[in-house]
Amino acid sequence: MDAASVAKTLHPLEVRILLKYDSGREIDARTVRDDLGYREGQENQAFSWLSGKRLIEETSRSVSVFYEITPLGSEYAEKGTPEERIFNLIGESGALRLPEVAEKLGLEQKSIGSAFGLLSKEAVLFMDEGKRAALKPGAALPLRVARLRALLDKAAAQAGTLEERSLDAEDLSVIQSVAKKRGAGDAPFRMAERERVVYRLSDATKDVRAALIALGMTGEEYGALTPAMLEKGSWKSGSFRPYNIGVSPARTIPGRKNPYVEFLESVKDKLVSLGFEEFDGNMVETEFWNSDALFMPQFHSARDIHDVYYIDDPKSAQYIEEPHLSNVAAAHENGGNTGSRGWSYQFDRDFTRRLILRSQGTVLSARQLPKAKIPGKYFGIARCFRYDKVDATHLSDFYQTEGIVLGEDVNLRTLLGFLEMFAVEVAGAKEVKYVPGYFPFTEPSVEVHIKHPVLGWFELGGSGIFRPEVTKSLGIDVPVLAWGIGIDRMALMALGLNDLRELFSPDLESVRMRRALTKTR
Amino acid sequence: MPKIEVNEKLFFSLLGDAPDAAALEAILPTAKAELDGWDADGANAEDRTIKIELNDTNRPDLWSTAGLARQLKTHRTKKVPSYPFFVPIGEKHSSSYTVEVEESVRRVRPYLAGFVAKGVAITDAMLRDMIQTQEKLTWNYGRKRRTVSIGLYRPSVIAWPVHYKGVDPDKASFVPLQETRDMTLRQILAEHPKGKEYSFILQNEAIHPLLVDDKHRVLSYPPIINSADLGAVLVGDRELFIEVTGSDYPSVALTASIMACDLSDMGFAIENVDVIYPYDTPFGRKITFPCYFQEGLKVRLGQVRKLLGLDMSLEEARDAAERMGSIASIEGDSIAVKPAEYRNDFLHPVDITEDVLIGIGMENFPPERPRDFTIGRLSPIEQFSRKAKLTLVGTGYQEMIYNYLGSGRDYIEKMGIPAADVVKITNPMSENFEYLRNSPLPGLLGTEAVSVKAPYPHRTFEVGKVAVKCVSENYGIATRQYIGFLNTHAQADYNESASHLATLMFYLGREYTVKEAQDPRFIQGRQAEVWSGGKRIGVFGEVHPSVLGAFGITMPAAGGELDLDALLEVPETAAK
Repeated sequence: MDAASVAKTLHPLEVRILLKYDSGREIDARTVRDDLGYREGQENQAFSWLSGKRLIEETSRSVSVFYEITPLGSEYAEKGTPEERIFNLIGESGALRLPEVAEKLGLEQKSIGSAFGLLSKEAVLFMDEGKRAALKPGAALPLRVARLRALLDKAAAQAGTLEERSLDAEDLSVIQSVAKKRGAGDAPFRMAERERVVYRLSDATKDVRAALIALGMTGEEYGALTPAMLEKGSWKSGSFRPYNIGVSPARTIPGRKNPYVEFLESVKDKLVSLGFEEFDGNMVETEFWNSDALFMPQFHSARDIHDVYYIDDPKSAQYIEEPHLSNVAAAHENGGNTGSRGWSYQFDRDFTRRLILRSQGTVLSARQLPKAKIPGKYFGIARCFRYDKVDATHLSDFYQTEGIVLGEDVNLRTLLGFLEMFAVEVAGAKEVKYVPGYFPFTEPSVEVHIKHPVLGWFELGGSGIFRPEVTKSLGIDVPVLAWGIGIDRMALMALGLNDLRELFSPDLESVRMRRALTKTR
Repeated sequence: MPKIEVNEKLFFSLLGDAPDAAALEAILPTAKAELDGWDADGANAEDRTIKIELNDTNRPDLWSTAGLARQLKTHRTKKVPSYPFFVPIGEKHSSSYTVEVEESVRRVRPYLAGFVAKGVAITDAMLRDMIQTQEKLTWNYGRKRRTVSIGLYRPSVIAWPVHYKGVDPDKASFVPLQETRDMTLRQILAEHPKGKEYSFILQNEAIHPLLVDDKHRVLSYPPIINSADLGAVLVGDRELFIEVTGSDYPSVALTASIMACDLSDMGFAIENVDVIYPYDTPFGRKITFPCYFQEGLKVRLGQVRKLLGLDMSLEEARDAAERMGSIASIEGDSIAVKPAEYRNDFLHPVDITEDVLIGIGMENFPPERPRDFTIGRLSPIEQFSRKAKLTLVGTGYQEMIYNYLGSGRDYIEKMGIPAADVVKITNPMSENFEYLRNSPLPGLLGTEAVSVKAPYPHRTFEVGKVAVKCVSENYGIATRQYIGFLNTHAQADYNESASHLATLMFYLGREYTVKEAQDPRFIQGRQAEVWSGGKRIGVFGEVHPSVLGAFGITMPAAGGELDLDALLEVPETAAK
């Protein structure tokens, strides 16, 4: 970094140091505090930053002893030491018994006792015949007491601290006699050792200083812009300290939609834009709507106990709506009014009421047929339930996207047209291919395959034209195109995942950190 | 969907062609088949197999090497194969072989079909293919042998006529395949691997079916197992007797037809078998197999053109239908189809239409943009839900989405609610997926249980379906759209949730009041029911420490759930 860039990253505490001292100059905390008025801590903060930028370097490190005034010492400084106060009291009021002294001065017996002891040893006080402390005529306070008094006053004037180096031998002997290193609660001074570190301003500070001057930075720049500054307009009289924009920003945790849900919503929006109206339905359905209405024979192998989930309570619906029940039953048994020969078996009207978990989204299409508009286009994204062992490619509940198109003129080619639209618009496919498929409820049936740039060809979905056994039983006389798209795989691609279970992840942090791609394709 | 393995050499010889993988993939769609795997570099050309998946469950004729090859070849050559050994139903015929059915078998497994094939030494590939076909037909098409089962025998060692009868399973006995001792039928069901596998078909029957020859020697115990003496077929055999039994005569007859056509394609001469009944069957009392029982049907060309959206001539439609193996002819403005002997999947004229489509080839149908104009729209509940989501996201919530199936442990025990409130599955795959949720809260709490390391505060929500018991409904269970929300952090409390709820309700434009609630999932006195439009639409409060403890959560949590479907029905307050 050049000097100008470095200069812009400096904090005012650093700036003022660099402007104050020439390169090569040695400084320590005391110097900076005295010269620049830094509060304790600020100078060390500045030294740490400047060292980090190699603008100063440590040259020496030594331990100094300091005497710090304690709360007791502060009290002495204010009211006098016990010796002074006894001396003054007795001088004013004459001889007194020690308890009286303690009471008048508000001091403990113990400190009165030790102060009296000291003063009598120095032949200032004596105990008279009435057991009273009395002043020796003409006696003055001992020198020690006076010196302590002076030290207390001096310390109080210097923020409570006396450096050992600044004391002469006699002061030192006095202060050492009353200072304690630990447990200094009953002593006026606490002795403390502090490290003194000396730094030298490096040669580089010359250029940085020149850069600071050129930039007009004084270290007196404003920090935060405050409402008061705006109200008073005081911001006009100064400039703002530039920030270091290279610092990594702090993390913000936003409110967010779930990326998978966002993907599903994007598919819904796309289908709406293609003219489809959304439908919805029950998760618990009857065998009737789930399969019978779709002309899947009741003996069909996909209807075994191992393929759908049965509901325990209640086990069956109370009724199936007429005329649908009779029409569908007839279609199964002999074709009814549908032009079919049917499946030639006895339709089970109890079985058809049995409740199950919806196993295919097509149930929504069957439900929609009796109330559908012609022409009409409908779709739904439905949670479906399958009797599958849960693993990376199978879930016991998952979404299926299904829809129908009703119209006098729809046919196989319009079905292919729709499939092409889905492939291009919804899945972003570049290449599409159609092959004959098989579904029990459509004839003809078509599978649509698309080519993905990475995965290659895969099946996007299934479709077909509903069998007349399905549509006519539910009162529809026009062709109905039916389609389903497997969107799970598209979702994995869009979200950069490869395990279906991840779509429904309960792990908050992984959901928070999951970035949905901006495009669904 | 059935998957089969075909022997490459046998397949190519039946196909009359040797396509590479790309060429095979290009023609398989005409049989609704997909290439599933092909070890084209396998060491031994004799043993190389091609794996193929068949998608049409109504075309069991395609589930064998010969059947698949037949469809592909017919489509390519437009030459309908001929099987002159079929005898139309009701036509008088006298065969060299007879099976006599006895009244005693009528109730348990009433129908039988059979034929004899001769003239080719069975190779290992053929035998394996026949066994595979037998398995696919009886498992998928025959519903695990319930409606169809197949037995293979050497006709020359059998004393004809064969008898099909009902017997007492505790008295009749024989030596089954894979065994050396004489066992009663009851013992076979209890002890033999096949007996155990298929005992479900016969376990409630007093009389069991048995096939014996004229010397009372057992051929087989349908649909369980063949006898070790008369029911074994080996590589090198030049004659076969194949019988099919079951409960649905068209399925039984079609299965015999498919196997007869397959063997005919492999060079066997097919000889007929007469089956004679003392009772009425859908096909009569004396039937000669292989039997042609299918009915013809027709479709008007106009219907085909309308459904496929393509102009074509009668001749083009007829030719296309024939590529799918049936005899087709023009009758006035219609195409009449006499279904192929091995097919019984024509239920409706649309089934001919699909054959025409595949016959012409999907690639010859250019996609067409739809012309009808319709207005697209999201459902009202989706629009309403999105509004709710937007408000919570703006309040700082992360949206979650969960599976709906879960365990009784999570949905009931940990939540401390009555089991009867939650929809239970009778046949769960595992106890982890045994219940359908009645609330989004277990999901949100589950997140807390696994997300201790995610920086707090946690504010999560989910909009999704729940199932609630509802006696007034036809199904007794209603699906509702719920929103659930949860705040989890050291200061999470009722007041914070109340404030967020108020914000949500304000922007949803619904006025509400709160009432004291008694929900065991929340702390007593720090929970409230939410009422709007005279209905209770939800509850919220501080999650009860016993619930937190059950989930292993050591951070206070507060939140709730609302029924968005119910709220949507409440009239919106006038916008300010």
